[in-house]
Amino acid sequence: MSSQRLLGWGLRFYVVVFFGYLFLPLAIMAAATFNDSRFPTVTPWDGTTLRWFGELAEDGAMWQALANSALVAVGVLLLAVPIGIATALFLNTVSSRAKPFLYALILSPLLTPGVIIGISTLIFWRQWGVGGGIFLTVVGQATFIAAYVMLMVTARLQRFDRTLERAALDLGATPWQAFRRILLPFLKPAILSAGVIAFLQSFENYNTTLFVVGYDTTLTVYIASKVRTGLTPAVNALGLILILVTVLLAAAYEFKRRREAARLVKGV
Amino acid sequence: MSIARQLAARFGGPLTAAILALLGIWLILMVTLPQLQMIDYSLRPNLLPDQRGGPEDGWTLANYATLFANDIHRAIFLKTLWSSVLVTLLTLGVSYPLAWYLAKVATPRQAALCLLLLIIPFWINEILRTYSWFILLAFRGPLNELLMMLGLIDRPIRFLSGDAGVMVGMVYAYILFMVFPVYNAIESLDDNQVRAARDLGAGTLRTHRRIVIPHAKPGIATGCIMTFMLAAGSYAVPALLGSPGSRWFTQIIYNWFFEGGNWNQGAAYAFLLLVLCIGFMSLVMKVFKVGLGDIAK
Amino acid sequence: MDGSVRLEEVVMRFGDFTAIDKTSLTIGSGEFFSFLGPSGCGKTTLLNMVSGFLTPSEGQVLIGGEPMAGVPVNRRPTAMIFQNLALFPLMTVFDNIEFGLEVRGVDRRTRRATAERLLALVALEGSGPKRIDELSGGQKQRVAIARALAVEPRVLLLDEPLSALDLKLRQHMRSELKAIQRKTGITFIYITHDQGEALTMSDRVAVMSAGRLQQVADPVTLYRQPATGFVAAFVGENNRIEARVIERLGERVRLDAGALGELEGRVGEEAGLGVGVEVALYLRPEQLRPVAADAGGMTLPARVESVSFEGAWLMVAARLEGSGEVLRMQLGSEVSRRFADALAPGEAITLGFDPAETVVLPRDDGPRVDAETGEVVEASDEHR
Repeated sequence: MSSQRLLGWGLRFYVVVFFGYLFLPLAIMAAATFNDSRFPTVTPWDGTTLRWFGELAEDGAMWQALANSALVAVGVLLLAVPIGIATALFLNTVSSRAKPFLYALILSPLLTPGVIIGISTLIFWRQWGVGGGIFLTVVGQATFIAAYVMLMVTARLQRFDRTLERAALDLGATPWQAFRRILLPFLKPAILSAGVIAFLQSFENYNTTLFVVGYDTTLTVYIASKVRTGLTPAVNALGLILILVTVLLAAAYEFKRRREAARLVKGV
Repeated sequence: MSIARQLAARFGGPLTAAILALLGIWLILMVTLPQLQMIDYSLRPNLLPDQRGGPEDGWTLANYATLFANDIHRAIFLKTLWSSVLVTLLTLGVSYPLAWYLAKVATPRQAALCLLLLIIPFWINEILRTYSWFILLAFRGPLNELLMMLGLIDRPIRFLSGDAGVMVGMVYAYILFMVFPVYNAIESLDDNQVRAARDLGAGTLRTHRRIVIPHAKPGIATGCIMTFMLAAGSYAVPALLGSPGSRWFTQIIYNWFFEGGNWNQGAAYAFLLLVLCIGFMSLVMKVFKVGLGDIAK
Repeated sequence: MDGSVRLEEVVMRFGDFTAIDKTSLTIGSGEFFSFLGPSGCGKTTLLNMVSGFLTPSEGQVLIGGEPMAGVPVNRRPTAMIFQNLALFPLMTVFDNIEFGLEVRGVDRRTRRATAERLLALVALEGSGPKRIDELSGGQKQRVAIARALAVEPRVLLLDEPLSALDLKLRQHMRSELKAIQRKTGITFIYITHDQGEALTMSDRVAVMSAGRLQQVADPVTLYRQPATGFVAAFVGENNRIEARVIERLGERVRLDAGALGELEGRVGEEAGLGVGVEVALYLRPEQLRPVAADAGGMTLPARVESVSFEGAWLMVAARLEGSGEVLRMQLGSEVSRRFADALAPGEAITLGFDPAETVVLPRDDGPRVDAETGEVVEASDEHR
């Protein structure tokens, strides 16, 4: 019995250490932003400063990379979300002997390393004379992000009561009206979530982007290149801002999702 | 009933056309053809534009032979395989107790808080997560300072020059891809089964070995497949935390494309990496006896 | 407005399985018509052919005399009340009711006026702006009715709409549905496995089993003169005694019931009751009476097996001395008081009945109803 309790306390201690391991590096990175040192570190502490934010703001290449990232993310959103929705609708509707094969094909981008998606996209488009750049980055990223969207929409679609669609048809709606007025509003929360996830996935992507971005630079590629050449705490400042923005977005998303879930439970 | 008819019966003509068009664009133009093209590339020699279509343009396995002829590349390939397996096992070892705690030990409120805390780093860029270790492990970084202060070492260690740094960074970067599937799987286990096992006199180890782990198999398999795939295919982590002496296979591939200028050779290496991942996935699915449907969850 | 529905030799097959065997039927305009049968008998399939969700493999459906082949669900003059009601959860009551008009392009003001009028009809004035999850079970039921009526259907199709409600509310909604049907004059086609619902509300009932119509008749005829063994067993409760015809006596037949001796019964099915034919004699529990051992007429000596108190009546199970079969006898309180002494398990009792209240039918090998559990037992697969 006492060994059981010892084990229990051991487990709790482990969990605390684990979360320390999870957050300590991020905390140190954040702290290094404010160190008045030429290198990003906290040891030694050379005095507190905010100058790295200023330096970051004056970095034109960074702003260009940020704009590119935003452009790519919007492109991915416009391409991957419709594809993901269409695929989810397809899988939810069709029964066919070919379905297991199609399903494997649909999931394959999730199980393929990102670098390979980037490489195959690059090679495929070369024959049409399209080289690396914003467009290929959108195509490459959308290839696997569409599968994430599909999974999220499918999860909600499985909870849809198809008699609602039948009822709409029975009341005189055309299939399009039934989709537009009944199914689409039901899917809306999942589509919005999928949109947020798709945007972030695109914004953060590195492995695929690296191969298809060509001479353009996205923010992630920019950070990686900065780390390897000309590293200053300005990178930390950028990282800190990105972390704050993502955490805020994530928190808002989580909050919304939980409220939604709570409302669903209450509705039942 | 044909696929199009089934769709049309539910969505009507125009929407069905849109669904099939989007699906076709994705699966054919974005998923299938690029992969086939990559394989085709890997089977052709690297030729100058005016040589294409000439007598030398034909299918050959020469690009694959390069890997076996080049000792350094072969060593890096095997190291990538071995290290990725190690990263996967390490990640599983680190994640399992946490997943168990979240699913069965923590109160619902504790679990909810922990899950939220877990999700936050998950939302943060892989590059930034890796970069944070770059700072931590630097030669004059806080970890060395701490160890020296404690008197455990008397001169700083070069963490960032071997594979150890890369592997630590990977465990950190991909841990959530392991924690969540394993947590979900354990969570669905009926508490009474654990109580019954305890009641029948099974110790902690035996309970996990005989009850929890068999139940969590699909989750463990998913976590392992994802982690391995991410580790073997990682470019960011070795690029940031590695050194020229600890190169990863993805870096070799990158060099063929953007420094060697030999895309055909790069395509062959990329395909080998893909085969490696598919092989690992098939092995895990076979050992754990799980299907593709379990993985998608 | 002709709301008649005609099925002309319709057949529905799913692969090798025949859900509906060649069926023809005419339902009059303004009729309250029910399909009654156990689950899986094909009644929902029939309803789906009328609504247009299914296309018959053979034969055709006509509504108001017009063939419905090629007319899709959304253009048929029918409206359906679904088993789970299928109210749109993300819309208000108003939006639900107005949906059918909205998709037809009816303007907002007309729509709202119609919705208000229908809400008044189903006694839900003022509930229009409410969300669906704010309504009680009975209120949801009414909204579903109002929503279906809003599109002014010629035929209203109801697929076991009361099955989700509790007993009290279910009984209340029966009379309400009937009243709405009278008020609107719309043809109601009602699907149920609950004979109480079918018998209380309908003008006519079709009893279905294994994809076939067993009998189509008004409720009284259905109960008094079942046409098949299945109907006799499924509608109400019936005791069944196997026998053989000895002699035809006009409306009656004399039967050889083996160890039970000679019995008389009323002819149920005119054809097929020739001398020597194997038949079944059906006796309703409420038609059996305890009588003196030496009383005249039809008597069956028996021994009381069990007595259960059901409130308004007693249900007595008695084992026949002759054959060992158990018959069930339902006694009102008055009769049971008179025979109180004889109604203890183990006591001898004599059961009497009036042949005019019985039905004799040829023995068929169609589906049967298990007397103990009430479940349908498929006797042979040939009828599928």
